[in-house]
Amino acid sequence: MNAVANAAPPIASSGSVGAGFGWSFVRDLTLAWRHPGETVLVVAFYALVASLFPLGVGAEPQLLARIGPGIIWVCALLAAFLSLPALFATDYADGMLEQMVLSPHPMPAWVAGKIVAHWVASGLPLTVLSPLLGLQYGLDTATLGTLALALLLGTPILSLLGAACSALTLGARGGGMLLALLALPLFVPVLIFGAGAADAAASGLGAAPHLSLLGAGLILAAMAVPFAIAAAIRIALD
Amino acid sequence: MDHPFYLWMSYGATALALAAEIVALRVGRARARRAVEAERGLEEQD
Amino acid sequence: MNFYFFASPATFFRLAGAMAPMFFVLAAVSGAIGLYLGLAVAPTDAQQGEVYRVIFIHVPAAWMSMFIYLVMACYGAMTLAFNTRLAAMMARALAPTGAMFTFVALWTGAFWGRPTWGTYWVWDARLTSELVLFFLYAGFIALANAFEDPRRGDRAAALLALIGIVNLPIIYFSVQWWNTLHQGSSVSFKGTSMHVTMLWSMLLMAFSFWMYSAGAALVRCRTLILDRERRTRWVRALS
Repeated sequence: MNAVANAAPPIASSGSVGAGFGWSFVRDLTLAWRHPGETVLVVAFYALVASLFPLGVGAEPQLLARIGPGIIWVCALLAAFLSLPALFATDYADGMLEQMVLSPHPMPAWVAGKIVAHWVASGLPLTVLSPLLGLQYGLDTATLGTLALALLLGTPILSLLGAACSALTLGARGGGMLLALLALPLFVPVLIFGAGAADAAASGLGAAPHLSLLGAGLILAAMAVPFAIAAAIRIALD
Repeated sequence: MDHPFYLWMSYGATALALAAEIVALRVGRARARRAVEAERGLEEQD
Repeated sequence: MNFYFFASPATFFRLAGAMAPMFFVLAAVSGAIGLYLGLAVAPTDAQQGEVYRVIFIHVPAAWMSMFIYLVMACYGAMTLAFNTRLAAMMARALAPTGAMFTFVALWTGAFWGRPTWGTYWVWDARLTSELVLFFLYAGFIALANAFEDPRRGDRAAALLALIGIVNLPIIYFSVQWWNTLHQGSSVSFKGTSMHVTMLWSMLLMAFSFWMYSAGAALVRCRTLILDRERRTRWVRALS
């Protein structure tokens, strides 16, 4: 398995989208599997902060049920944000990023593979854990389901937009704070629709409009953002 | 709070913002000119 | 004359120096007329009394905040497409003015909202997306200045401006797409329900802010040119 993570991209006579995506996805997933610390940290941060809020605002059940979806969403946002700085930084630092750029595979392809692997290691655990946290807040089943579905649609968008900001700030002064300033405003629409979906489910109105918009946003982001990230990486490497 | 308060706060803040920007423009321009002068001084030293 | 004649910082510097005062004069004159019409001539509003006169600052500032971002993003696209220095400098020159007008729109909106809606702020679609616009400007300025190499900052910020352009339609159409506290648009190309003096005052103030923005951006661009090109012969030859 060492060969997977340490090898340069396979030299093909012509690169392809599938091969590029597959290679990058497997590599990053292997690395995340071998160093689970980051994923554990993200999940632990998520659970910890979500547990802090009832202590701060008081444990009144009605209040918690109302603010629960929003808080869980904000915690997911912050936790996803935590894992962003390292997304491209390690590869940038040891020169692997340049090797990947030089590979025959199209840049958006392996960038997408990297982001999906990042989502599997950060956004997906957050989504899977959200019903448990929702129970802490006393949310009912319908709301829990909608919240999980909204997170399922929204966390990939966060990974995509966050990766774009991470690529833009490679090697910049100001580090994490600059990344926060760039990424969090872009996260706002996802937060609004994601938390709005759960709130709509909780109050009995349909969450379909919110979920549809999240889905549309995901499709749009998945198609457009990898190209933007490719441009950002080229800017960083010049 | 009566209506004149809100009008004054609005127009006043706008005037302040415009004044601040104009001051910043002038300060920036002066700083750039001084840097050019310094550069010229360095060249003359050669 | 070569189409790209003014793409050189050296030639643009002189052009900007000649044009900026004209823009400021236009801004001052139209602003004076607009303020006179708005504050002295326009009648009192039937529902809101005198406080509605904030509109003569609020709406022009909001229009400018969006328009300047659009122009900035266009210069960003030019930076990435043509790899020129000057387009990036114009984008950097526009950003602070855009941020200023966004702040003014938010502030005057709050002080108009308090007496009319009863609250300084509400988290509806338009106000939230305008606030996001302010953070986009701040992010642009921060990113552009975050690198040792100014060209890297130019291109990264240009890309950021293009990514954030999605926010502009959200702001503009938010009052149509959502139930918001903010009123819908009362001015369109087909006509308006506003009183004619109020309309003209608002349009004149918008024009004034527009001229001011152009002048300020040109002055700031000249400063940036002096800063970046200070080692060139033509800068050192300036009086």
